[in-house]
Amino acid sequence: MFLQQLINGIAQGSLFALIAISFSLVWGLLRMVNFAMGELYMLGAYAGWLVVMHVTPNLGVALFAGFMVGWIVGWLIEKVAFKAMRGVPHIASLVCTIGFSFFLKETASTLFGAETKSMPSYYSQTAFTIAEANISWLQVLMVAVAIIMMVLLQLLFYRTKVGLAVRAVALDYRTASLMGMKVDRVTSLAFSLSGALVGFVGVLAAIYYNAVNAGMGFVPAIKGFTAAVFGGITSIPGAILGGYLLGAIENLSVKFMSSGYRDFVSFLILIIFLLFRPNGILGKKTKL
Amino acid sequence: MNTFMAMPLKRNQTPFWIGAVVLVLAVPGLLGGSDYLIQIATMMALYVVLASSLNLIIGFTGMYSLGHGAFYGIGAYTSAILAINLDWTFWVTMPIAGILTALVGAFLGLATLRLRQTFLVFGTLAFGEIVRILIMNWPSLTRGPMGIPGIPPPSILGFELVSSTQYYYLILVFAILMVFLIFRLYHSRVGRAWVAIREDEIAASSMGISVFGYKVLAFTIACLIAGLAGAFYAHFITFISADQFGMNESFLILTMVALGGTGSIIGPIIGALILIIIPEAFRFLAEYRMVLYGALLILVIVVKPEGLAGVKGLFAPASGARRFSFLRSGFSAECEKVEGAK
Repeated sequence: MFLQQLINGIAQGSLFALIAISFSLVWGLLRMVNFAMGELYMLGAYAGWLVVMHVTPNLGVALFAGFMVGWIVGWLIEKVAFKAMRGVPHIASLVCTIGFSFFLKETASTLFGAETKSMPSYYSQTAFTIAEANISWLQVLMVAVAIIMMVLLQLLFYRTKVGLAVRAVALDYRTASLMGMKVDRVTSLAFSLSGALVGFVGVLAAIYYNAVNAGMGFVPAIKGFTAAVFGGITSIPGAILGGYLLGAIENLSVKFMSSGYRDFVSFLILIIFLLFRPNGILGKKTKL
Repeated sequence: MNTFMAMPLKRNQTPFWIGAVVLVLAVPGLLGGSDYLIQIATMMALYVVLASSLNLIIGFTGMYSLGHGAFYGIGAYTSAILAINLDWTFWVTMPIAGILTALVGAFLGLATLRLRQTFLVFGTLAFGEIVRILIMNWPSLTRGPMGIPGIPPPSILGFELVSSTQYYYLILVFAILMVFLIFRLYHSRVGRAWVAIREDEIAASSMGISVFGYKVLAFTIACLIAGLAGAFYAHFITFISADQFGMNESFLILTMVALGGTGSIIGPIIGALILIIIPEAFRFLAEYRMVLYGALLILVIVVKPEGLAGVKGLFAPASGARRFSFLRSGFSAECEKVEGAK
């Protein structure tokens, strides 16, 4: 039982870790938070669902569709909520993304209906069994995909010119701009990338839970943010660690209290970490 | 800095306020006794109180809270549970609900108000969700997802308030009192301290204002008022459940403040009236209510961040900073100006 919960926790943790990376990416560049992250996740899930139901049952295409939708909507949000709002204090951007969050959620709920759509399951057969704990192929796939994504991101950031530009802008946008970098374009790109990542996660989550609905993004987004704060929002390895730890803690907590309190644990961790250790486990010391 | 100049009460405002009060007193008459319309008017009065109380947090001190719906809910549940389980009268349960909510608010405020704005938003949001989860999973006290039906209406001197018109006047008196209280606070020593904090925290603290203390005070008073409003709501609607006080409620109240205007007395009132009237006036919009609210919030923040009737204060762009820079380019120059000013 313990092992099974731990395995479920790690599978879920990959989702949280990827969302947390997105939060860290935006935070690192803009020192801001995109509140509509959960809705990008939801839109990605819907895109994946539409592809699977109407176009092709190919999972790769569905994941790509989620990625693209996240990219496009993320790009749009950056243009309206961040780029158009430069010169106005940060909080205005945050409130604007809160508006986006509700706007997108309610639009999806009117477009697709309020009821939960069922997503066909993929790779749900048991891959192998360790001490009575079943691991499905999907869980293996999720962890593998998450790790591949993290490696790709790592390569992108540390082995390419674009990654160098993103890091330079995150470090010091003024100097970067003086060096002739197109700071706006780099910001826009990284922001879209964070949206795409979350859209991608949305498709994975839709398959994992076999469900898509308009409100599905709210809780995972807060948990992703919690994971980011937990591990240290300024650090991407921290975000990954935070994601997996949060997934494990949340699933193991079911052993000690009723499952109705499952989300409670994450929210409590968020508040506790914000209060006592806002820099997280691995984060650098900055004033939050 | 303009807001400091505009602070003292303008003399010619008094007749306007008196006129407004007379107008709202006459509402049941104007509506011709239609129960449905009077109920909407009652809800408007309640939301005026809620939006004004959130404005204490957002507009007066520059903090953002997404947990206001939860405080409203704590007030409603406290009053309902006391009235049903202990059979206490509304006039006892209502103040207790307010005080309990204020205590919870003070506790949360003491804990979280040192955080930066962005993190405060998430902290209050998480708190709101925790409250919702507790209500849902504590059936022995809150009846969980079933909600609490049959909350008794309040009575005055043995006379039960049952008709919607009577209830309208009750809530109206409450709303006027609360708005007046906030108005007096705003123009007091405390209010000036709040505005100073909003305009420039560092300057305020170097003038000897206890920034943290005043923030907690604003948060506590706002929660007290939200709790009282919750009690009034519970006894008016007679049935409450957890989903009435969730995230959507907090968002709605936030949108009212942002749309109407942050930092002014009239702003949240305008916001509450507009957002309640729109879906009622255009019935075909009722289905898209929340879509519309979301779109309105985006539009207002982008075009006029301080809202229709707000004070610039919180959103004052740094001098020389240009808006809509996406039409041009020049990221760094503008960021530099903002950073220099803040």
